Amino acid sequence: MGLGLLVPAFLAGLAAIVVPIILHLRHRDKDRPQKFPSLMFLELLPIRTSERRRITDWPLLLLRALALALLALAFARPVFTRSAAVEKSARSRAVVLMLDRSMSMGAEGIWAAALDSARITIAKLDANDRVALVLFDDEAEVAQAFTRDHAGTLAILAKAKPGPRGTHFASALRAARQLINRAGDAKSEVVMVTDLQKGGVGGVAGLDLPAGLSLHTVDVGSRDHANTAVLSAEVHRSAEGQRTLLTVKARVVSRELKAPRKLHVMLTLNGRPSGTQEVTVPVAGDVPVSFAPVLLPAGQVRGAISLDHDRLVADDSFHFAFTADDAARIVLVAPDDAAGDETLFFEHALAVSRAPIMRVDRVRVGGLDARTLEKTALVLFWDTAPPTGTGAKVLEDWVQHGGGVVVVAGKRLSSGARSSTLLPATASGNVDRLSDRGGSIGDVRLDHPLFAVFRDAAASLNSARFLQYPRLAAAPGADVLARFDDGLPAVIERRAGSGHVVLVDLPLDSRNGDFPLQPAFLPFLQRLVLYTSGRDATTLWRTTGTNWLLPSGLREPAVSTPDGSIVRPPRDTVGSTVALREAGVYALYEGRVQGEPIALLAVNAPANESDLSQIDSKELLLGVRPSAAAADEALDAPTREEVESRQRLWRLLLVVVAVLLVVETFVANRGWRGTANRLAGAPSDRSDT
Amino acid sequence: MATSPASFLDPVLLGRISDLALLARAVVDGFMHGQHRSLRRGSSLDFAEHRSYQPGDDLRRIDWRVFGRTERFYVKEYDADTNVSVIFGLDSSASMDFGSGKITKFDYGRFLVASLAWLSQHQGDRVGLATFDGDLVDVVPPSTRHLQLLLHTLSRSKAVGKGKLSTAADKLTHLTARAGIVVLVTDCYEPPETLARVATNFRMRGHDVIIFHLVDAAERDFPFKDATTFEDSETGTKIPLRPDDLRGKYKELIGAHYEALSKKLTGAGADYVRVETDKPLDYALHAYLDRRLARSRVR
Repeated sequence: MGLGLLVPAFLAGLAAIVVPIILHLRHRDKDRPQKFPSLMFLELLPIRTSERRRITDWPLLLLRALALALLALAFARPVFTRSAAVEKSARSRAVVLMLDRSMSMGAEGIWAAALDSARITIAKLDANDRVALVLFDDEAEVAQAFTRDHAGTLAILAKAKPGPRGTHFASALRAARQLINRAGDAKSEVVMVTDLQKGGVGGVAGLDLPAGLSLHTVDVGSRDHANTAVLSAEVHRSAEGQRTLLTVKARVVSRELKAPRKLHVMLTLNGRPSGTQEVTVPVAGDVPVSFAPVLLPAGQVRGAISLDHDRLVADDSFHFAFTADDAARIVLVAPDDAAGDETLFFEHALAVSRAPIMRVDRVRVGGLDARTLEKTALVLFWDTAPPTGTGAKVLEDWVQHGGGVVVVAGKRLSSGARSSTLLPATASGNVDRLSDRGGSIGDVRLDHPLFAVFRDAAASLNSARFLQYPRLAAAPGADVLARFDDGLPAVIERRAGSGHVVLVDLPLDSRNGDFPLQPAFLPFLQRLVLYTSGRDATTLWRTTGTNWLLPSGLREPAVSTPDGSIVRPPRDTVGSTVALREAGVYALYEGRVQGEPIALLAVNAPANESDLSQIDSKELLLGVRPSAAAADEALDAPTREEVESRQRLWRLLLVVVAVLLVVETFVANRGWRGTANRLAGAPSDRSDT
Repeated sequence: MATSPASFLDPVLLGRISDLALLARAVVDGFMHGQHRSLRRGSSLDFAEHRSYQPGDDLRRIDWRVFGRTERFYVKEYDADTNVSVIFGLDSSASMDFGSGKITKFDYGRFLVASLAWLSQHQGDRVGLATFDGDLVDVVPPSTRHLQLLLHTLSRSKAVGKGKLSTAADKLTHLTARAGIVVLVTDCYEPPETLARVATNFRMRGHDVIIFHLVDAAERDFPFKDATTFEDSETGTKIPLRPDDLRGKYKELIGAHYEALSKKLTGAGADYVRVETDKPLDYALHAYLDRRLARSRVR
């Protein structure tokens, strides 16, 4: 066994030995001078001060110097390493050290253990061995490519810290694979220092690593997985007289607690405490928390919900942000003869939307003018064609500048009484599917933003039945986004300038189909409104590791991040995006970062990062297919107990230092230096006798 | 085992007695226990010698028995005591609050003054007390009835302040108009010339002067070992020293001081008695009594 140091920088503390030496050279009993009746004669004696500049108490000086030296050595964390003779192989090694820096690594005691394990791994390397450092969370960052500069790698390691990101082992392993492919003929090893969080295993299965690679994990996770966190938040607006009240609800989740626990849940709005609730969370599960309604603040609102801290502090705060005035105004243009219940499902479906709130205003066909359109997000023509003439010109201009128009086709429209240049299709009669129990949606472009939400549940669209619908023919330049099972267009889109016109041939009432009764009805309508109006859904928060696509039309977007830095994202073909790396609230500004932001975006760590349950290291690596030698190496990898035992020396050193200090106290106060024995055989405390 | 009366002269034992009156009585009793003849019988009745009658002598003093044998007139002479005023001056400067043993010089001085005062009182003397540092601190005028007051004043006095004997001694000389005995108990941290001048002043006013010079063993031998900062008890001045290197020279200086004191004070007509505080009190008492008897023998 050899002896290494985990933090050799602390050896600089040896310089402190100079202090007792100086003190001994300058030693004067300032604290306890020897009282003497009169210095009448002593003052007559020559005092040779130069002779006093010498050390008179060597044992005490050595005791103090030894105590300081051992203290510095203890802080340098000495660690026993295996004998170089045993470790040394015929060829040098290339070790990829992967350090998990996800949020869960910030739990109490975990990060220090992880750093120690990483340092031990580096300390065990021979001088010729190369090491690379990969810091990973939900993505991997090669913090240090292969190098023989172990000290430099330790320095980079010392700067690493856990962040508010999720865990994704597969990303880290892919980064390691790329490094190892460039490692040449060196014996490759991958050491993953992690808490083996179960939530991060996605994508590991089937990962292919180079043959001959030795891969093992160092588990630094705690056996105590108890944790509580805020899972989500939602806001509800309600009108009370002239005021708008805001009700915030949250869900608090608990996992693997030993017993139900009482927690204080605090709500903060725009930095002000706005409510506190006490809840009792179960051993495992989640509980809803509803705060008392408060007056809705104006403008952009930053909110945070926080819990009493536990081992993992990072997930005890949850951020959200929204705009107080978030209503999307929809102008519904319906024919005069439309029955009241014809648009019932449509209007009610939009009314339940909360983010954003969708407010429907009915106007007559002739009532559409520029003033009406000014504050309108979307104009929806219910079974009627857009206006012609002057009204058409106003509407077209509005669409050219980003307005959205939705036309819901029906019997009236198919009669072809009026035609409009805005319409992306022409109608020619109705299709009656009553005989075959109604038609359904056949082909849908799931890659289109309008149907993207159904990407994982396409079957939900197919369950709706349609008895009658107009027969449409798409106009040139229009896109068919969905078709009925008979091949006829069901949803057609045409772009006009910056705006969209979408023709929906799907009956949105219950007379000609059962679509309003299907689960897909609500999300479809919401996406239809948001997409066509050019607004995305208002999210209260996003998760770290994603990107924020900034709204188009900003010349010089500037984003203030939660850590206070300013990001000015460049524009590309997609637009400007900002990587969301920090948890907190991002603020978007135009030009200078001052005043009221254009938009806020709250970012939180992924919810599954709060689940501290672990996966067995062998289970994690089952799908990775390590080399045959890896199993043996894995056995040699230091266990947590072994890591502890190898660096236990610092505790022993501290005990020795404590003993030395006790002896020093005795020697300094009770030994030959003591006042009691300054006079041979006589006590010095005279005044009390 | 019973405690020998003489053992009460041991200052260490005396230090355990808080009542100064009891202490003084124990000291005097213990001291007198070993004397061949008691002075308490009344020295005024002691026959001294015969001398020839001179005209003017009191006829009642003629020894008629001798006349019957010799037919010559002889007059009997007796040793007669005279009541004198004894003023005790106790140095209460801070330098007296030092003792390398169990008691300090000041405690030793208090024991000594209490014992001497007790002894004097029981010989019919008037006893008085003055404690002083740079000035007089407590004064008990001489009186035959002031013993208890003197002891009480002694018991509550403390050794503080900066001492200057010459100033205090000038005031002390005015304390009594009658010639008597002045007993100074001090550690003599003054130039011998100053002390000699003080003694001369007292002598010129007809006082007998006894100076008890209290010396602690540490002042005499300077036994300190380690490099130490020494602090003057009175001035607070600090001097860092290496005692090992300076011991020899210090002892030379202090020895010369002792010698000069003895020479100068004796020359000034005072009795100089150097008392080491680790020694029993009887030495000091003997010195006092010798001086007292020499003064009291009036015929």
